[in-house]
Amino acid sequence: MTRDDHPLKPGGGVESLADRQAGLVKALTSRARVPEGFDGRLIEVARVALLRKRAGEVAKQWPMLAAGPAWPRVFLQWAADRPTLGALRDGWDLARELAAGGELPALAGEELATREATMSYDGTSAPRRRRGPALRRAAGVVVLQIAGTVRTVRRA
Amino acid sequence: MAVAADAAAADAAADVTTAYGVGIGWRPEIAGFVAGLPGLRFAEVVAESVHAHGDLPPGLQELLDRGVTVIPHGVRLSLGGAEPVDPERVAHFAAVAERLHAPLISEHIAFVRAGGVEAGHLLPLPRSYAAVDAVVANVERLRAATPVPIALEPIAAVFDWPDDELDEASFLTEILDRSGALLLLDVANVYANARNRGTDPLELIDKLPLDRVAYVHVAGGADHDGIYHDTHTDAVPQPVLDLVTALCERHRPPALMLERDGDYPPARTLSDELDAIAAASGYPAVT
Amino acid sequence: MEQLAATGDTWGVPGPTFLIFYVALIVLVAIVAAAHRRALFAGDRTAQVDRLGPQQIAYLNGGDQLALYASLGGLRAAEAIASATDKTLSQAGPLPSGATALDTAVYNAAGNRIRAREVRADRWVAAALEQLRTGLEQAGLVVTADRQKAARRWALAGLALILLGVARLVDGLQNGKPVTFLLFAIFLAVAVTLRFWRHKPQRTRAATKGLSSVRGNYDYLSPAQSPSYATYGASGAAMGVALFGTASLYTMDPAFAAEAEVQRNNVGGGFDGGSGSSCSSGSSCGGGGGCGGGGCGG
Repeated sequence: MTRDDHPLKPGGGVESLADRQAGLVKALTSRARVPEGFDGRLIEVARVALLRKRAGEVAKQWPMLAAGPAWPRVFLQWAADRPTLGALRDGWDLARELAAGGELPALAGEELATREATMSYDGTSAPRRRRGPALRRAAGVVVLQIAGTVRTVRRA
Repeated sequence: MAVAADAAAADAAADVTTAYGVGIGWRPEIAGFVAGLPGLRFAEVVAESVHAHGDLPPGLQELLDRGVTVIPHGVRLSLGGAEPVDPERVAHFAAVAERLHAPLISEHIAFVRAGGVEAGHLLPLPRSYAAVDAVVANVERLRAATPVPIALEPIAAVFDWPDDELDEASFLTEILDRSGALLLLDVANVYANARNRGTDPLELIDKLPLDRVAYVHVAGGADHDGIYHDTHTDAVPQPVLDLVTALCERHRPPALMLERDGDYPPARTLSDELDAIAAASGYPAVT
Repeated sequence: MEQLAATGDTWGVPGPTFLIFYVALIVLVAIVAAAHRRALFAGDRTAQVDRLGPQQIAYLNGGDQLALYASLGGLRAAEAIASATDKTLSQAGPLPSGATALDTAVYNAAGNRIRAREVRADRWVAAALEQLRTGLEQAGLVVTADRQKAARRWALAGLALILLGVARLVDGLQNGKPVTFLLFAIFLAVAVTLRFWRHKPQRTRAATKGLSSVRGNYDYLSPAQSPSYATYGASGAAMGVALFGTASLYTMDPAFAAEAEVQRNNVGGGFDGGSGSSCSSGSSCGGGGGCGGGGCGG
């Protein structure tokens, strides 16, 4: 079978590949419909494996958030409909949400407060290092950052 | 096109003849262990974890100073994507290759993003001519940015696309022929795919251009729900080591490396695994 | 306020003359004292810091508390001890081979169901720490109590200077003389005296130098690298605590560290997270680089 024999797809060969790839990625990263022809069970296995892998990567960037028996279940539930924005942002978004709901343990709170004090993150673009000093709190822990050095001012 | 590919392959083949023996994937978590391997001659580092400027990850500079060859291995370029590879990522990859004075760079025959969404993992391609076109085009873009030879790694796939036009061996060979790239043969992936599809891994190996193998990955995996996952966080199973031996009987590659990404075991266990790979391949131990 | 001027200079010495003499005296005392103290705190330059065990290194870095934490870290990594939610320690496995006297004492104390923060008060533990310190003193790495006393004695000289200045100040005030500059000079004497009194380095200069070179050999144990403690073993864990402080314990086993009420300066990701691999610009590095967890599949 040569190149010239392959069946024409609407819109041309390469474009169609793009659409098909996009459809597959959507199915794997949110709970979108599995594209036709794929083995649904295997796609599901792959989807869960992907979430677990993400959980592992977030745990590397947020070790205190990931410490404890509720991990990775908490992450898997939270991330099932949210494609990854990178481990740093994934963990950050989750930690903020837990903190807002009063569900963040003290150690993880200190970790979040420290990150908030050393980097600035608006939730929509990549986090950036802070230039100036900052005082931040999370889960009852207050943290002060001056010139890169962080002190915990108040513990929960 | 074909002439350029042949010339590039000939250049690249010259590098394949230097034998590096057994190596390891460098990771910051085990940097101390890697630094203590007396016979180590080559290591691989994830390209995206190296900055193009500024400080290298601690421990990597010592390795380079020792004369260990370090090969950058890309994981986020998405060469198999229908969309053209991001020029910034290509530029970063090229800069890292130069920084490390690498004789080779490697990436995957896979895609990691589509439609503006990151998959966060390496996803398999349909074995179609359209996919071959996409890979070849992206390899060309990468080749335009760096003179360093490129090796491509086929991945382990938990699922297949519904309407494949080619079988795996033909698909890979077509890509290698048209792009002129070398092959990074991951025997753990070969094993995983054969296991999950119920085929014979040696059947595939026998159909691949083994003289184009630049180096080999060896890794561990585990069974979950009746599927073998190439996790890189488990011990290397004996069947994979047997495949290494079978491969080396046919055509011994210049280098093989242990690829481990997490859940690192005690140093002794890692040493034993490196020794096992050495024994299976006939290369001297590096521990 | 008397209208008559004073009959003469205070003590028969003109103000500026006294001031120059006084400040010169302070400076002289400061220089001589500093030189003497420097010699006292120098330590033994031939001592081989890189041959020391993790607990000695910990002692040099953070005193007996950090040496204790290093021991706890090593025992925890070897799974010889564990913690419970009531903040007590317990024995969880056999004492590993190669355990030091301090390890043995801590392990035994753990068998008595005491709170982690009370371990230091245990008699055998205290004795083992004392023994650790003595060994380091003999090696010229820790300043002995005698030398500390000798160094502090210079504060007495400083005190004498202060008293001289104050006496002059009082008499000068009674004579209606200006005392502003003298006041500054007295503050200088106070500062110098306080320095001699308060600055009591525990480790010698030789130890400080040796410590920084050792730290360079063990970069890979820094918490920023997310070291795999399983790979580096119990001695690696202990050394990590010794060189990088209690943050190492929190990285290694956050639950244990929290239950053992290990003091920490700050536990947090800081920049870029634990593995330090992500780049500041998003595009060329993607989502934090690297493969982990379930593997790349490639």
